[in-house]
Amino acid sequence: MGASVEIMEIGETEDVADPFKPTGDPASMAKYFRVIMWALVALFVVVLLVAYSKARTTAVTVIIAVGASAAVWIAANLLFNQVRRNWVLFNVISYGVIGFLVGAVLSGNELLEGTGGGFFNWVWFPLIAGAGAAAVGFVLARFSEPTIRLVVAAGGLGGLGLLAGLLLRPAYQPEVSPGVFAYAAGAAIVGALLSLLFKHAWWHGALLGLALGWPLGAFGYADLGDGNAAWAAIAAAIGPTLLGVRVSLAPIPDTVRRNLIDQRSRAVIFIAPALLFIFATLVVPTIRTIYLSFFSDNSEDYVGLANYKDTFDDPNSWDTSNWKDMFFSFPMTVAIVLLAIFVVIGISQKRRTGKVVELGSPSMFPLVIGGLFLSFAVFTVLRGTIINNLWWVAVVTGLSTGLGLAVAVLADRARGERIAKSIIFMPMAISLVGASVIWRFMYVARDSTKQQTGVMNALWVGLGRLSTGSGFWTWLVGIVLTIAFIGLVALLGQALVRRNWGKAVVPGVAALLLGWFLIRYFAIVGGGVGGQVSGPDGQFVGNPVNFVQEPPYNNFWLMVVLIWIQTGFSMVILSAAIKAVPTEFIEAARVDGATDSQIFWRVTLPQIAPTIGVVVTTLIVLVMKVYDIVKVMTNGNFGTQVLANDMFQQAFQFGNVGRGASLAVLIFVSVLPVMIYNIRKMQREA
Amino acid sequence: MTDIALSRPDGDQDRGSGAGAAIYRFMRSIPVWVLWLIVIFWSLPTVGLFVSSFRDRDAQRATGWWKVRPDQLTLDNYQTIFEANTGLGKSLLNSMAIAIPATLIPIAIASFAAYGFAWIDFKGRRWLFIATVSLLAIPLQVALIPLLQMFNLGAHFTLPILDKTITVVPDLDLANTTTAVWLTHTGFALPFAIFLLHNYISGLPKDLFEAARIDGADHFTVFWRLVLPLSVPVLAAFAIFQFLWTWNDFLIANTMVGTNADARPTTILIANLAGDFGRNEFLLPAAAFVQAFVPLVVFFALQRYFVRGILAGSVKG
Repeated sequence: MGASVEIMEIGETEDVADPFKPTGDPASMAKYFRVIMWALVALFVVVLLVAYSKARTTAVTVIIAVGASAAVWIAANLLFNQVRRNWVLFNVISYGVIGFLVGAVLSGNELLEGTGGGFFNWVWFPLIAGAGAAAVGFVLARFSEPTIRLVVAAGGLGGLGLLAGLLLRPAYQPEVSPGVFAYAAGAAIVGALLSLLFKHAWWHGALLGLALGWPLGAFGYADLGDGNAAWAAIAAAIGPTLLGVRVSLAPIPDTVRRNLIDQRSRAVIFIAPALLFIFATLVVPTIRTIYLSFFSDNSEDYVGLANYKDTFDDPNSWDTSNWKDMFFSFPMTVAIVLLAIFVVIGISQKRRTGKVVELGSPSMFPLVIGGLFLSFAVFTVLRGTIINNLWWVAVVTGLSTGLGLAVAVLADRARGERIAKSIIFMPMAISLVGASVIWRFMYVARDSTKQQTGVMNALWVGLGRLSTGSGFWTWLVGIVLTIAFIGLVALLGQALVRRNWGKAVVPGVAALLLGWFLIRYFAIVGGGVGGQVSGPDGQFVGNPVNFVQEPPYNNFWLMVVLIWIQTGFSMVILSAAIKAVPTEFIEAARVDGATDSQIFWRVTLPQIAPTIGVVVTTLIVLVMKVYDIVKVMTNGNFGTQVLANDMFQQAFQFGNVGRGASLAVLIFVSVLPVMIYNIRKMQREA
Repeated sequence: MTDIALSRPDGDQDRGSGAGAAIYRFMRSIPVWVLWLIVIFWSLPTVGLFVSSFRDRDAQRATGWWKVRPDQLTLDNYQTIFEANTGLGKSLLNSMAIAIPATLIPIAIASFAAYGFAWIDFKGRRWLFIATVSLLAIPLQVALIPLLQMFNLGAHFTLPILDKTITVVPDLDLANTTTAVWLTHTGFALPFAIFLLHNYISGLPKDLFEAARIDGADHFTVFWRLVLPLSVPVLAAFAIFQFLWTWNDFLIANTMVGTNADARPTTILIANLAGDFGRNEFLLPAAAFVQAFVPLVVFFALQRYFVRGILAGSVKG
């Protein structure tokens, strides 16, 4: 990631049209930003308050919650400012606040006699607790004699605990039971061990553990409501007393130590809100999802790995039964031809350069294109959700990166570079849902008797009309393509005559494909190309393709949507990387007599290889989670199901929480290696 | 093609006259033609949508958008989608009610944390930072089921050994509200936001902080007076990225408010419109264009920040 941050800094000045020229003046940018932010806030408030009444309550809640959080955060900052300035004040306030909060919990839940019903009944106990604790805090901050500290702290806090225990309503008085001691002892041992681990005196931790473990055991383990007032008072007093003993043992900190406390408290104040949020919305839910994936659909029975097993046993997600058909498909034929060409060229190349394949070598092109066709041969025959996901990853990652690189190279220093790049990048701004809607209109297939209103079918049927027709346009297109074919053959012949085998490959393969197309176009073999069939009298009848509903290739047409979006992304990143290649390298290569293509394959491409890695890994993660496009275009029907949509349907529509959770974990596990690789790289660069 | 594509005009050495040179020049210009062909193909879908949105139902069904005639143009579609039964207006408000808090709140929380990680010394800082940033790896899907359960029922935890269930998060009545959506967005934005802001804030000059500390400024003052104003470029990049991400999001919104017609944002409205085949299909282009309008304005007006934000956001899990 560090790489791409750096890249975008380099790229930003000449990358894309920018109406706001970088001023380099933070003050004016700050002003500009502040205006935008305030405008957003104002818009939000106005819109919500004016527009509709239900939003008004929501807005008020949000504003109160956010305002209160901000107030707490700033108050905490101001309070901890006192650590360095005024230790006594800090202690009084913090002890008082803690005492008040504990008291508020007790009286707010109506655990005590005389609480509940009315503000005064609620507030009197918290005030007493707060005042008592504040007094203890004052003494602890002011006096350093151990006896005074011990007596006041243990006595004061213990007294408050005793008061709370005596006031406890009978319904909450705990029963005496031996388990309490076991629980408290356990907590004490844990505390002692933690102290040892962090190299403190072991009895400090033990005291703290006991102080916390005792009330937990006394009120948590025992049955409530069966005890008597005396035991309740003892149970409630022991915890605070022990706590008082523990705090009295800590000496009054000197300036150095107060600075340290200030420092550490700031770490907590600044980082804790984020960690709290992350913990609640990311960490805990992730753990819980993994946990739920081992349980049945209603999360009640433990089923082990059955959910995962179901996924792999389900023919809807993993169906390889037709694997034999793979070898007789059209893409396989093309792949075999191209790979055969690769082998032939590779062998001859090995004799000359010692390597079968290199970047930009003649053998690379048939290998890459053959590989692409091979993937189609495999993925159109093996079916299922998991296979679809793999297909998505292979095709979208490969084509987006390849096309992005091609456009970046083509546009480099071309006239109108900014406009071209802006247009290709624009789909990134549109939502995936919007893009799916846009492409649905591209793919519309209408009855063959009607005009086609989708661009793709209009082109396809139009091609069929040209191919089977005999008008002016038919011949024009035919003649232009024939001239192009002759040109390619001429290039091929020239290269062969000059014995420049490397230059012969690209025109050769292109001539082969174009020649084959022309044979079909003029109906020398078969009945023409494009979306057409012959009617009963041999007249033209359009034959549109239902791009979205015809498996297995509808998967590919869905992928096109994501390619349309993501090509702009890879283009911008790769373009910036290409511009960042030092010109000295290119000059030096040119002086040495390298051709443009040699410079690209041998200098530029190795230089931008790390960036290509960034693009590819980013795309893999993104494509693995593809959801919106499939949901909007087919909702997983017609053999286009992917993991994310399957997960959504299982968990939220079919009510099979266990299966849905297992699919989510599957997505998680499959992107994990790539993300680990990315994060490690980020750390190396950071 | 690749061989030719890489040639640049300034690398042209075979200058001459005659048919050979003409063909050579033609071949040299092929890359430019290929580029503009790609550009035209790339813009076709959007242009088609734009044109279709101004054509009435009959015209859309009869001919392709490229055969549009001036007399077919109308604003009726836009009028219809803002009417009560389709309710695009309300959806736009919902989208804002989600996107604006989901942009502002993570900025605040993440800038605290980024400052804390960058400039406050404490034990285990590096370890904690790596752990936080590593959470980028978690895909959205993994957290959705428990989060939805929490918004519907609250969160409860059964203490081990004691066998008593305590309520960690009460049922706050957040089911099917926009609040649930932006809360989820906020949580998911944080690891990435912290990472991005930390990258920038930790790169600010050290002397600045030392000088401020010597002058007696506490962390709060340094953060408020120095760090925030200096971090404006990165805050803007993140704000734009996050705003568009939440505006365009479909998965989280569909999970949290998918069944509540009153709280759904524009993306869900459009997906539902696309779902009931045929009947309202002629309204889709207008609705999709309105939905894309805000991102497109941001794109064309703030392109530099936009590109930065998008590129930086590409690592988001």
